[in-house]
Amino acid sequence: MAVLARTLPGWLCSLAACVVLLQGAIAADSPSEYQVKAVFLFNFSHFVDWPDQAFKSPTEPFTIGVLGADPFGSRLDEAVRGEHIAGHALTVRRFNSIDQLDACQILFIDRSETPQLDQILRALGHRSTLTVSEIDGAAQRGVMVEFVTESNRIRLKINVDAAHAAGLPISSKLLRLADIVSPANGSRTP
Amino acid sequence: MTTSAISIRHRLTRLLFLSSGAVLALTTIAFCTYEAVTFRHSSIQQLRTLSQAIASNSTAALAFDNTQDATSVLGAFRAEPHIVGAALYDSHGRLFATYPQTAAASSFPMHPGMAGFAFTRSALAGFMPVVEGTSHLGMLYVQSDLGAMYARIELYALIVVLVIGLCSALAYLLSRRLQHELLRPIWALAETARAVSERHDYSVRANRTGTKEFDLFTDTFNQMLTQIQGSESRLRDQLSRLSLLQQITRATGERQDLPSIFQVVLGSLEQDLPIDFGCFLLHDAEAQSLTVSALGIAGRVFADRLGLADMSVIPIDQNGLSRCIAGQLVYEPDVLEVPFPFPQRLASAGLRSLVISPLIVENQVFGVMISTRRESQAFSSGECEFLRQLSEHVALASHQARLYGALQKAYDDLRLSQHTVMQQERLRALGQMASGIAHDINNAISPVSLYTESLLEREPNLSERARGYLVTIQRAIEDVARTVARMREFYREREAQLTLARVDLNAAIRQVAELTRPRWNDLPQQRGLHVELNMDLADALPEIMGAEHEIRDALTNLIFNAIDAMPAGGTITALTRKVTGGDGHDRSVIEVRDTGVGMDDDTRRRCLEPFYTTKGERGTGLGLAMVYGMVQRHSAEIEIDSAIGVGTAVRLSFPAHTSSVVSVVHGAKPATVNRRLRILLVDDDPVLIKSLQDTLQEDGHVISVAHGGQAGIDAFTVSEQRAERFDIVVTDLGMPQVDGRKVAAAIKEISAATPIILLTGWGQRLIAANDTPPHVDKVLSKPPRLAELRAAFVELLP
Repeated sequence: MAVLARTLPGWLCSLAACVVLLQGAIAADSPSEYQVKAVFLFNFSHFVDWPDQAFKSPTEPFTIGVLGADPFGSRLDEAVRGEHIAGHALTVRRFNSIDQLDACQILFIDRSETPQLDQILRALGHRSTLTVSEIDGAAQRGVMVEFVTESNRIRLKINVDAAHAAGLPISSKLLRLADIVSPANGSRTP
Repeated sequence: MTTSAISIRHRLTRLLFLSSGAVLALTTIAFCTYEAVTFRHSSIQQLRTLSQAIASNSTAALAFDNTQDATSVLGAFRAEPHIVGAALYDSHGRLFATYPQTAAASSFPMHPGMAGFAFTRSALAGFMPVVEGTSHLGMLYVQSDLGAMYARIELYALIVVLVIGLCSALAYLLSRRLQHELLRPIWALAETARAVSERHDYSVRANRTGTKEFDLFTDTFNQMLTQIQGSESRLRDQLSRLSLLQQITRATGERQDLPSIFQVVLGSLEQDLPIDFGCFLLHDAEAQSLTVSALGIAGRVFADRLGLADMSVIPIDQNGLSRCIAGQLVYEPDVLEVPFPFPQRLASAGLRSLVISPLIVENQVFGVMISTRRESQAFSSGECEFLRQLSEHVALASHQARLYGALQKAYDDLRLSQHTVMQQERLRALGQMASGIAHDINNAISPVSLYTESLLEREPNLSERARGYLVTIQRAIEDVARTVARMREFYREREAQLTLARVDLNAAIRQVAELTRPRWNDLPQQRGLHVELNMDLADALPEIMGAEHEIRDALTNLIFNAIDAMPAGGTITALTRKVTGGDGHDRSVIEVRDTGVGMDDDTRRRCLEPFYTTKGERGTGLGLAMVYGMVQRHSAEIEIDSAIGVGTAVRLSFPAHTSSVVSVVHGAKPATVNRRLRILLVDDDPVLIKSLQDTLQEDGHVISVAHGGQAGIDAFTVSEQRAERFDIVVTDLGMPQVDGRKVAAAIKEISAATPIILLTGWGQRLIAANDTPPHVDKVLSKPPRLAELRAAFVELLP
């Protein structure tokens, strides 16, 4: 009892210190959903083997486009600042409509463009652009990568056929993480 | 197997083990060091490769924040059991995933460190960056335990042990093989050496083995054995010769004469060297020849063939003999080749080898020793040396024998001289004492003699009886005086003036027997004893020259001794014989023999010494001493035979009288001085001087007396001053302070013409010693006799 009595204040002090530290860390470090998605968008550039026809010239920047309303704010710009992919500087461009859509290597299609999704996909055709969206069932509909939020975690669904059709081989490492979706078979996991 | 062989074998084994062990150790250390270095390097490389693969597979998981995938990627480390922990950190340095999944976060570093791998004390750990393209996605931490290394080390240790075991076995087998190869010749040599040392057999030889070095060794060893064998046999010979030399030296040392020394040397040489014939020749320098002194007994047959016998003479020719005489040892290996007579003579007797060794004493060759053998070349140099040494020893022994002989003779002479001197010394001492006694007795009886003579002359009216008594007294006094004189003189050589007359020993012994009858007949009969005196006298006994009274006294002494020697009675035999001595002269022998107690050796040896007596207080110890004195004075010989309990025989042997010279017997020539003389008598003895005064006064002389030397001189001086000169002075010799000599000298100084008569108790001796003192005209002995005094007066006064 003497030992307990003597050590109890020490334990309490340690516990309190731990709680304070954890709360601080969560508050400081826990990234927002779009912050994560912005990093993911950038990271997709590493796991796709970009063909030469994806770029008009060697000096052309590597462009990440955002179509529709921009959910990222400045987070995406922060994520790509100063980065290069295979000698191409990274830029972020935002497009309000399909009409404005210009050449870009990764295109994020916002939820706001859900009605025009098929149109957009048709417009893109077989351009070497990796399409990414968070619209539910987007992958089923032909988007190459779909963000799915499950139990507070962001998961990926990838339409390999679509990417293949566009001439963009996706790294198996990435595929291992994602659910593979094909229009005929529906969703599948590797 | 000997200890040194074991030692060499062990050493060889140890050597091989040490060298192979050292090589193995070095190799192992090098190998292990190399392996340790390369293993660390390759371990790091391996871990890096593995980490690289895992890191590469982890990129997507990190990039898309998939912990599950990351965990499954890390799960690939299961394939490598030594990986005990791994962790992924995201680009922010946060722990992202761990392996094993359940491991506590605290078992990993909180933050990633620098890229790279390193060994810690118990593990190999490090960080690997996770990069996709150019993008840094995070860090991989991998920790491997050292189990692999330990396993490797165990494997190596096992290999090392196996290799060392195999090598040791191989080294042992090789060393056995090599030892056998190397040690076989050594063992063979050792075996030979042992055989040599144990059996002292130097004829064995070690066998060659076919190995160059060992054969060299073996040859050297065998050569050494040969030398030892030679030395050993030479040493043996030398030793035997030395012991022979010693034996001969000892044998010669025990002998003192040349012939027996030579004989023992030849005997030893013939038996032990050996030689066939040997002899000793003595060198005669004057005759230039050698004389055979000794011939070997065993070689007698050769001596006969050579015609050599004791005392044979061999001339010295121009050959070995002459060289030997010059002091050289001569060795002729073959006498056939020596063309000189003596060697040829030996050759003809069948002797071929000859050694002549000189016998040298004080640089003089006094002889040679000849040793010969039948075979030619038969004497080794060692034997020649031995003969040379032997001849030196023999020469020395001969020399010593001669010296010993001379010494013995000198010693005998010395002992004889000493004996004589001692005897004379004893007698001289006795004589001195006796003459003192004689002096006193003579003084004492002088008045008796003077008065008796005077009475007989001047008293014609004496009765016959009185005259008879006086005559007896006079004879007794004369006997006393003679006895005293003899007592004083028994030790002296016969004196010139001793009166010798023909003496018949038969008559003398008859007289003595008659004279001593009361002792040997009457006295014993009173005590109930019976003593018989037999006489066995030779008829034709030659007369001898001698003093009869001395001979009578001597015989009397012998009879008395015989009686004393027979306290229980017995027989005395007196016999006389004529014998012919060794020089061809006749001798008369008289012997007195008793059947008494006899004498032991000591008594017999000492019985002639003065004062030696066996009769206690009854004896004077002078009896036989006087006999001996008489014997000496008469040039006679005395022999005493005695045996305890048997008796004693004393034999006196006198030279028989051959010359026809008849001694002059003093006749009494009455002579008187017819005138009246003034006589000065000087004597310290008042009785004597009174008797002299009385008797001389009766002759009509005027007598003055002086009782002492100084008084006499004074009296003479006074009379001279008064012109009343004394015609003659009669003085005693022995007086206190001023003796007769001084008186005579003083008187002669005053009046050289005055005759001086010296009276002396030692008169006889003075005369004998021709010792008449200066200034004395006549010496007369005491007791003085009137006739002598008167004759002296006549002689001295014209």
